[in-house]
Amino acid sequence: MIPEYLLRALLASIMVSVLLGMLSPLINTKGLAFLTHALFHALLFGAVLGMIFGLLFENLALVMLTALIVTVTIVLLIAHLEKLGFSPDSAVGIVASFVAGLTVLGFGVLYKVMATRPYFPLGESIVSYLTGDIFLISLNSLTVLVLGGAFLFFVMLFLYRDFLYLSFDPEGMESYGGNVRAYLMVLYVLVGAIGTLIVQTVGLITLQVVAVLPGAIALMVSSDLRKVIGVSLLLTLGIQLSSVVLAYLTDIPPSGLATIMLGVIYGVLLFRR
Amino acid sequence: MNPEMAMRVIKAENLTITYDGKPALEGVNFSLDEGETLLLLGPNGAGKTTLLRTIACFHREYRGKLEVFGKEPCGARELIGYVPQSHSLNERVPLTALEVVAMGGIYRYGFAHFKIPRETLMKAEEVLGFVGLGHVKDRLFRELSGGQKQRVLLARALMSDPRLLLLDEPLSALDPSARAEVAGVLNKIKRERGITMVITTHDINPLLEVGDRVMLINKRLIAFGRPEEVLQDSVIKSVYGPLARVIPVEGKLFCITGDVHIHRHGGGGL
Ligand SMILES: Nc1ncnc2c1ncn2[C@@H]1O[C@H](COP(=O)(O)OP(=O)(O)O)[C@@H](O)[C@H]1O
Ligand SMILES: [Mg+2]
Repeated sequence: MIPEYLLRALLASIMVSVLLGMLSPLINTKGLAFLTHALFHALLFGAVLGMIFGLLFENLALVMLTALIVTVTIVLLIAHLEKLGFSPDSAVGIVASFVAGLTVLGFGVLYKVMATRPYFPLGESIVSYLTGDIFLISLNSLTVLVLGGAFLFFVMLFLYRDFLYLSFDPEGMESYGGNVRAYLMVLYVLVGAIGTLIVQTVGLITLQVVAVLPGAIALMVSSDLRKVIGVSLLLTLGIQLSSVVLAYLTDIPPSGLATIMLGVIYGVLLFRR
Repeated sequence: MNPEMAMRVIKAENLTITYDGKPALEGVNFSLDEGETLLLLGPNGAGKTTLLRTIACFHREYRGKLEVFGKEPCGARELIGYVPQSHSLNERVPLTALEVVAMGGIYRYGFAHFKIPRETLMKAEEVLGFVGLGHVKDRLFRELSGGQKQRVLLARALMSDPRLLLLDEPLSALDPSARAEVAGVLNKIKRERGITMVITTHDINPLLEVGDRVMLINKRLIAFGRPEEVLQDSVIKSVYGPLARVIPVEGKLFCITGDVHIHRHGGGGL
């Protein structure tokens, strides 16, 4: 008999894989790796702020809500800076430095607030945010993940071709009547929202790797679009599911296993070239 | 045809285009009528791309008058097809030739284009056939030859039935036979569709057959007129230096501007 928490973990990792598998080729072709870097800072700050609010108002749902708002705001801020003429890297640099500072300040506040609410069960969350806690996912969180994930998946699916054209030739897109700015915004918000949704299962430390490598690998081994997406999806699914099973058997956090497996595959492919 | 009757497609009077207030191209006067092809010539940094992008409404910082089909450039956008320099494309994206062409036709309506409509696909196949590439429609864009890529981009621009085509260095980075191949398609567009074109180029020779007007710029207007008026030793030398020359060969002009290799094969040249 499979324990229920394992079933939940498997279901969560299927949702995560579908989202990341679809998104990863876009991150690679559009060159959005810088954004996943910014996401790291935004998500951490959002989590700290969210936990402060969650504790103050004694409502755990505020954690993800705050993280979502903070992340999307920061992502849009970066998009705005880019529009003002900063390169993506400097836009991320500017924003990340402020956010990182605020995060450290936020930790100070969080500890103070935690001291005033010793009875409220939030103690482990910051660490589990960093490494991912797929085995601890509650039924509530799983529901949010599946419903929110399905919504984001369909938005991404219906706009996939537009995102590809956006990556291929934004100027051309604009000259034929496409609203480049709007597509870019939607894409950035999607990346931010997906990040917020999956970070607690995937883990903040490893998020960037699992978001970038599957697409990078898929683009290395195939050039036809359908195959690229197919490989990326299957790879993410295979890695996520097997890491959950392995973690169940060995007690090592699954996010660590998934990242190492991806790294090995990527390394072998690079080496064979 | 009586030139008074032809529609004026572009009219520039005292046009100065700036970036952050600093002029990149100053004091440009010219006009272009329907069906005519303008060859825009000038060394690197002369302002060729800047002028094209301003006509296409990508760049909006200018003084003086610029009318496209009698309107502000941004008001004429639907009539314009813009073909960027091919190195500005991100070829990591795995798109087929047909998908690239279809891109030119789907942004008139709708926001999400998960599936390309059938009519758009049929039209894309037709224009691909027009540029002679019906047989490569399912090949990846990035795996095509330089000349084929440029023809795919031309086909994409034709999808919206433009009345003005703006082409930024369609011949650069191509070998001589590919230049002739692309020049041949440009000629076909002019003859069979009568579309007005502005073409920037370093190598004017393969395009002399298609060009009705030549404009030479170098941060300002140097010369504008019919090819035989503009292409004179003294004019060319003032921009490209003392080694530049214009040589008449068998009744045709031949330009040597230093950064261009002479070539005589390939039919479309000369
Ligand atoms: N986005 C920009 N911002 C500021 N200056 C620019 C920009 N684009 C071009 N320029 C300047 O305008 C001048 C003309 O450039 P460009 O139109 O690209 O020349 P060409 O296409 O003839 O090589 C150059 O001096 C270039 O530095
Ligand atoms: Mg240029």
